[in-house]
Amino acid sequence: MLGLNLPVVIVLAAIGGVLAWRRANTLTWLLYTWVALWAFFKYGFAVPIPQSVVTIYLGITGLALVCFASSSRERLSETVQPIVRLILEPRYRLALAGLLVALPALAAYNVYADLNVPLEAPGFGREVHPPPPTEMTVHDETVDMATAENPYLHYKHDDPELYGEHLENGRRVYYENCFWCHGDGMGGDGMFAHGLNPVPSNFNDVGTLPILQSSFVHWRIAKGAPGLPGAGTPWDSMMPAWEKFLTTEEMWDVNLFIYDFNGYEPRALGQH
Amino acid sequence: MTAHARRRVRRIATFAAAILLVALPVGAQVDLGTEEQRAAGKVVYDKYCGQCHGDTGDGNGYATPRVKPKPRDFTTGTYKFRTTPNGMLPTDDDLRRVIEIGAPYTSMPGWPNLTSAEIQNVIYYIKSFSPDFENPDRYGEPIEIPRPLESTEESIARGRVVYEEQGCAACHGEVGRGDGPSAPTLVNDKGDPIKVADLTQRWTYRGGATKEDIYRTFSTGLNGTPMPSYADSLEVEDRQHLVNYVYSLGDGDDPNYGTLITAVYSEEPIDLQNGETLDALFEAAPTTRFPLVGQITEPGRNFFPSVTSIEAQAVYNRDEIAFRVRWHDLRADTSGRNSPSLEVPMWDEDNGIGDDAGDDGGDSDDFFGDFGGEEAPAEDDFFGDSGDDFFGDGGDDFFGAADAGPPGAEFSDAVALQFPASLAPEETPELKPYFLYGDSQNPVDLWFVNLTYGVADTFRGRGSESIEPTEADIVEAVTSYDQGEWTVTYKRRRSSRAGVSFAEQQYTPLAFSVWDGFNRERGNKRALSSWFYVYTEPSVQPATAFPIVRAAIIVLVLELLVVFLVRRRARQKAAGEEAASTTLAATEAPAI
Ligand code: HEC
Ligand code: HEC
Ligand code: HEC
Repeated sequence: MLGLNLPVVIVLAAIGGVLAWRRANTLTWLLYTWVALWAFFKYGFAVPIPQSVVTIYLGITGLALVCFASSSRERLSETVQPIVRLILEPRYRLALAGLLVALPALAAYNVYADLNVPLEAPGFGREVHPPPPTEMTVHDETVDMATAENPYLHYKHDDPELYGEHLENGRRVYYENCFWCHGDGMGGDGMFAHGLNPVPSNFNDVGTLPILQSSFVHWRIAKGAPGLPGAGTPWDSMMPAWEKFLTTEEMWDVNLFIYDFNGYEPRALGQH
Repeated sequence: MTAHARRRVRRIATFAAAILLVALPVGAQVDLGTEEQRAAGKVVYDKYCGQCHGDTGDGNGYATPRVKPKPRDFTTGTYKFRTTPNGMLPTDDDLRRVIEIGAPYTSMPGWPNLTSAEIQNVIYYIKSFSPDFENPDRYGEPIEIPRPLESTEESIARGRVVYEEQGCAACHGEVGRGDGPSAPTLVNDKGDPIKVADLTQRWTYRGGATKEDIYRTFSTGLNGTPMPSYADSLEVEDRQHLVNYVYSLGDGDDPNYGTLITAVYSEEPIDLQNGETLDALFEAAPTTRFPLVGQITEPGRNFFPSVTSIEAQAVYNRDEIAFRVRWHDLRADTSGRNSPSLEVPMWDEDNGIGDDAGDDGGDSDDFFGDFGGEEAPAEDDFFGDSGDDFFGDGGDDFFGAADAGPPGAEFSDAVALQFPASLAPEETPELKPYFLYGDSQNPVDLWFVNLTYGVADTFRGRGSESIEPTEADIVEAVTSYDQGEWTVTYKRRRSSRAGVSFAEQQYTPLAFSVWDGFNRERGNKRALSSWFYVYTEPSVQPATAFPIVRAAIIVLVLELLVVFLVRRRARQKAAGEEAASTTLAATEAPAI
């Protein structure tokens, strides 16, 4: 859900709960906040956030925490107190020595680990749903993107039998053409999906079909990756331009089918 | 049905089942489920399975003409992956296993989202397609799978002997790459050509890749395929050694697909003609495996590519850069033609391994004459109707006819590396040419090797319709085929006048194409990859010890400074001096 790595989130929340219960002091809270956010950014998402972005987030977080700690004299002294005690009181001598060794070691390890991360191909962001053109030409017909709608959708109520025929045709088109990439169950996990970057869209996902108008989906089916503007990195995507293979009717039918299979409706016209 | 009636049906069913249980040998039982269970199974089946396995279970769904292996025909009662003896029906657990995890590298997906009850219901429904499931004689006791033996050297050596004695190599090849002498001729019991498993790529095993799975596979055989059962010819212990041997052939459980080749620097000259020094150079370079998939984005689609991955390495010296690629192919096709731009007629999209048009090219043209042959018809009608017929009936004849001549001789094996013709401008580092042979604004360069000739030809691609030979740069290549594996090594000068230059510490986009002539791959009908990268590692490796020590020392100094300051303040305070309020005002009592 939301692409979160739930176990991590739960563990972090649980630690927070324990701290609240033990009435931890300000310093502990600040440290916890920073470490918890680090763990959350690093391990909390199913699709990892790039390290450079995590560094920026953590830098901002650190700054915010320092501002918070020094926002009033009392708070500052409350925060610093435990540190001063650790440094001055003889009974903490061993702990202090340990810390003096541990922190440099941690820093050294961090640098070592950084130098040894396996190299990775540079990654670039892409816009998943870039704005479509205002109109397009498919098989010599002009489609006005603002007003076009799936011409067979209304049969769902007006003529269920005809609707069924269009669906069945859409099913045929899908399983003759699409499932290698988008998957048999439409989870974006077809038998070729592991070789594709970007990965094929997952039509089960609530963040895909239901938020799109059927004309948008028609545009993507007809024009494929080559029809995308630059922000959609059209050079990488394997999504074919189906107007090369399918009739207009077939494209609307498969459009109908992918919505129906997943129990979704296209977003209505004029809705944002 | 009323509750009462339902209860009665259930009682009768239980009674009937009880009678059957008594009549049958222990372990084997006819369990066809209830009417309701089968009806519930039909709902699942019609939504998720019928498009491949056919709405009537005959294996003739919409996807069938375009997948290999074909979806199982449930009306025959022939199943590959079973714990039961050769020729017998699978148990429900066998079927459940396939349905849950699928058959890797085929179009049969796993269905992890179906609930246990849904799977059981669909199993009941599938069984209703074949009368065999009503016949108690077709049920067999599942074999016992012993715990695997430890993989000692002796065990593997004994397994190798068994492998040779039993003739596995005839199909699977000497070192298991699926290149045995029989491999190109094999068909299943429906007459469809069948690909022998590549035992070195365990992740592609359709029936599972654990030692237990392997033991089961060759103990019970795969019904309906040439893969025999060795239950009668091999003692249990020898089978366990054989498992260890087969397992030892594998490169690991996981393909570990990567996204980048690291080109390592060497002082040595790169001499393609001297195999030994060349091998030594590449010894030092890391190997990355990249996934390949069928080109199904533009006409000339390849729905069942034979090659599913390629391994690549790179080395460079002061002036030159060399790439080495390796992939497995069941046979070297080195007599036909091939080129990146060879035309693929539309009808050939649904034609693949061993379905060799070969000499009867004329025939097949007639056959498709009505559809306009070479021209890509916009409507897909063609596949809906004739496609099926063609494979249903014609397919066999076709293949039979091909037996006459050496199949696949028409097209040769080939490989190409693809690079952008120029690097992306700094403002838009993400910009690349279209991965399919480039586009009109952003061309690509292809280093193409037709393995009939074994030399590299260079092409400039501005999209699939515009691929021209170029001679701006000289690319050299050497090729070899050994035990089912092609190795192609390329070399070019690092700097180029017309194409991309390989500077140090540069990420250069790179993509691969592989053509298997046996599978009639040519032109756009190929296996290809997305864009990946080659990174030219710095020729002088930066020292690593220094930054590590530096980080530690900086932190230590900061720590000591804090300790010193805090202590000094405390001392000052203790001495009763007036402390100025600094950032370390910590020990002051809060002002009230
Ligand atoms: C060769 C692989 C491939 C095939 C075959 C394929 N697609 Fe795609 N498709 C993709 C990829 C990859 C994406 C995501 C990248 C992009 O947006 O271009 C995508 C995106 C889409 C989108 C856009 C979804 C969104 O959220 O914007 C639609 C709609 C779509 N595909 C429909 C289809 C239909 C319908 C078919 C069959 C007629 C099909 N695709 C066949 C690879 C494929
Ligand atoms: C996209 C096509 C496709 C879909 C959808 C599909 N299958 Fe399959 N199925 C196949 C193919 C192809 C094979 C043959 C694999 C092989 O021969 O290695 C197969 C094989 C099987 C087998 C036989 C395994 C054996 O031991 O021989 C079973 C059982 C099966 N499928 C059940 C299902 C069920 C149940 C569903 C629906 C939930 C389903 N399949 C959906 C393509 C499909
Ligand atoms: C007559 C040819 C032939 C012989 C002999 C043969 N095999 Fe096979 N084997 C095949 C074919 C064909 C397949 C692929 C079947 C399929 O994918 O449906 C296969 C598949 C396999 C698989 C993988 C199954 C999977 O899950 O994908 C293993 C493991 C295997 N064979 C081991 C052996 C061993 C061990 C021997 C010798 C004891 C042997 N084979 C002898 C033809 C043969």
